[in-house]
Amino acid sequence: MTALIGGILLAAGVMLYVLEPVFSGRGAPVYAGEDDYDEGAARRRVALTALRDLEYDRMTGKLDGKDYELLKGELSRDALRQLGPGPEEGGSDPGVDRASRQLEEEIAQLRDALREGLQCARCEHVNRGGARFCGHCGKALGSPPDLAEGAAATAAAGGMPVDGPGR
Amino acid sequence: MTILGEIALWIALPVALWGTVLSFVGGRSGRSELVLSGERTVYVLTLLILLASLGIIAAFVGNRYEYSYVANYSNRELDTYFKVAGLWAGQRGSLVFWTLLLSVFSTIAVFINRARNREFMPYVSGTLLGILAFLIVVLLFADVSPFERMGFTPENGRGLNPQLQNPWMTIHPPTLYLGFTAFAVPFAFAISALLSGRLDSRWIAITRRWILLSWFFLTIGIIFGMRWAYEELGWGGYWFWDPVENASLLPWLTATAFLHSIQIQENRGMLKVWNMALVVITFLLTLFATFLTRSGLIESVHSFAENLTIAYIFLGFMGALAAFSLLLIVHRLPLLRSENQIQSFLSRESAFLFNNLLLIGVTFAVAWGTLFPLITEGFFGETINVGPPFYNRVNIPIGLILLALMGIGPVIAWRRASPRNLRRNFVVPLLAGAVTLALLLLTGVRHTMALTTFAISAFVMAIVVREFWKGTKARARIAGEGPFNALRSLVRRNRRRWGGYVVHAGVVVVFTGLAGAAFDEIVEQELAPGEAMTIRSAFGNEYRLVYESLSHSRPRVAENVAENDWRWTALMTVYRNGERVDIVRPERRIYPVMEQQSTEVGIVTTAFEDLYVIPKEVDLNSGEDRVLFEAKALPLVPWIWCGGLVVAIGAIVGLWPAGTVPVRATVRRKARGPLPAGAVG
Repeated sequence: MTALIGGILLAAGVMLYVLEPVFSGRGAPVYAGEDDYDEGAARRRVALTALRDLEYDRMTGKLDGKDYELLKGELSRDALRQLGPGPEEGGSDPGVDRASRQLEEEIAQLRDALREGLQCARCEHVNRGGARFCGHCGKALGSPPDLAEGAAATAAAGGMPVDGPGR
Repeated sequence: MTILGEIALWIALPVALWGTVLSFVGGRSGRSELVLSGERTVYVLTLLILLASLGIIAAFVGNRYEYSYVANYSNRELDTYFKVAGLWAGQRGSLVFWTLLLSVFSTIAVFINRARNREFMPYVSGTLLGILAFLIVVLLFADVSPFERMGFTPENGRGLNPQLQNPWMTIHPPTLYLGFTAFAVPFAFAISALLSGRLDSRWIAITRRWILLSWFFLTIGIIFGMRWAYEELGWGGYWFWDPVENASLLPWLTATAFLHSIQIQENRGMLKVWNMALVVITFLLTLFATFLTRSGLIESVHSFAENLTIAYIFLGFMGALAAFSLLLIVHRLPLLRSENQIQSFLSRESAFLFNNLLLIGVTFAVAWGTLFPLITEGFFGETINVGPPFYNRVNIPIGLILLALMGIGPVIAWRRASPRNLRRNFVVPLLAGAVTLALLLLTGVRHTMALTTFAISAFVMAIVVREFWKGTKARARIAGEGPFNALRSLVRRNRRRWGGYVVHAGVVVVFTGLAGAAFDEIVEQELAPGEAMTIRSAFGNEYRLVYESLSHSRPRVAENVAENDWRWTALMTVYRNGERVDIVRPERRIYPVMEQQSTEVGIVTTAFEDLYVIPKEVDLNSGEDRVLFEAKALPLVPWIWCGGLVVAIGAIVGLWPAGTVPVRATVRRKARGPLPAGAVG
């Protein structure tokens, strides 16, 4: 008997809770909200992640100078296409844009390291910050590797500068 | 409590049907109050199914043997621990438990998306509620209700199958079910994407964690199952290509393929139809695994012949879902066009694609072998089972290629790899493999498959270790961090990638452990107390087992009631190379209520091998306590469990919330703002 009363009360409670929105007209949001997933921003992030990973691959010696420049040209072209309107105008998801900005910063940081001669042009050893000679083979650091080739690849990739500012 | 549970299940039926209809109508018409009502039914269902589950547990704990399910899977003498586990001991309870887990995951999915991804959510809740409604209908009308009462109350229950009276049994099915049910969420999102036509990569981005979560539970569930088989089935193996083992492996294989192929969709916008197909197939396979377990459809250690109607109902439901999904995919084909093409055979895309094809190949082979008895029975009226030799012959070579791909995939370049790229990355690992092979040949190892496995394992391990080493070194130099911090920030910046590497390392260890089976040693001998037997392992260790005594215990004797089990326990002292290392107590149990016997094995684990002792026969008549023992020296078995742990850790690394990663200024970095967007590319 107790179970039966419990059951009736349970059924009544369930009905009240489930049907309340239908009677009161209160609803859940149906359309994409302000902070919702933004395809553009997500694609930007994917493009930037690919570029970031490329920098790491170069840094760790997985890619040599030539392959690096070739792929950088392609990836940069893709990234530029995705960046189209730019996060200031297009992106609506602050989270995704923050992620994009972080990636951009990281890419800049990696490229600084490459450009400022941390990585030896001859043996590709990654040196400690501030080093003037390669700790592995002794070559003087500072001259960026494959500069001309990189610029050529960039120009071919769409005429935009592929590198960070200050190059 | 039990009656209330039954009432709750009946209330759940109209609620689930109402919610399903409302969610779809709400999604279609954009009427927000219907959508909210639909989502509330998800929460309410969880509560109702929880009540039903508690009702069943209460019946078990309260020894309510008028319920036939309880009477069939419990008895008075059973530990409370196993009585609670009775919820998933048999088919009927398992279905309720499955429904409960699915409703919990549905609630979590609906709740965390209550303010996000709203355009997907009505169809997501609709799909999940539809599946729940189906399960509730089955429970209430397909003659499988766990609340079914018999006309009388037996004095005692029939007891739990001895093989299930093991701690692993309380944890192995729930983990596996968590994996099965968690996959319903990605499936619901995929259906929602198809219905709403939002077919960019966002449904994948939303469900990526769910997929990995499901994969994580499936993986540890399978490993727990292997451990259960190893400890409880008492034959020294951990995998027998049993239909139910296979059934749990199938969704794991397709989920693994899916985890890899979504990366191609995310990075290159390719394989959209393929990914849709994989998510549907994986979900269908989780259903298949669920009903195959204990359905009695195929003879197995897990299924204790129950009624077959449910098998046909599930098959029908799977067929309907498959047809519905296929129609949706065909309808949306124009939106699922690939954005890119594979540029070169030598690229990460093609390595991933190849991985997918091989995984699907294994899936087909395993599915074929599992269903073969049914097929032969259907066509020739005779059941023909395919045994482990079939699976091993097909799957070991494919498995080895997959193992090699685990090394190649992560380091080969996206788009196209140049010969230079290949030289740079593969010379050292190939050398590692070659050196391993040479060393093993020198030490006299001649088993071809094992040698291949060890060499490939060394190759893949070298790649993974090198990746971590180089990445950490580069990070340390750039950011001026110590090695530990550098490693941490490296992983934090790309958890999926580095977590994936850890998983690969774990799989390598598991494969190495599996290959150890090529060097098992077995000795069988009948001993009287005081006598000893010796066995020499492949690693050259000599074990001497001295059989000291046999004891007979009768635990938990109650008046007028049979005991749950009678035990004969042998006491053995184990000497390793002359040194006393351990005492084992292999045991033979008789379950008088179930009229069954079981074996508890003795295991001595060291870093490289297990010593495994099985009491095969106990001579009860002569009074001399003679026991026929089988001792096995199993090399590298501990590595399987160890590798499984590493895989789990890797999956957790991948699952860990990303949070925001602060970008530290480089030591040498000049004061500069972030790159303007246009200049990055």
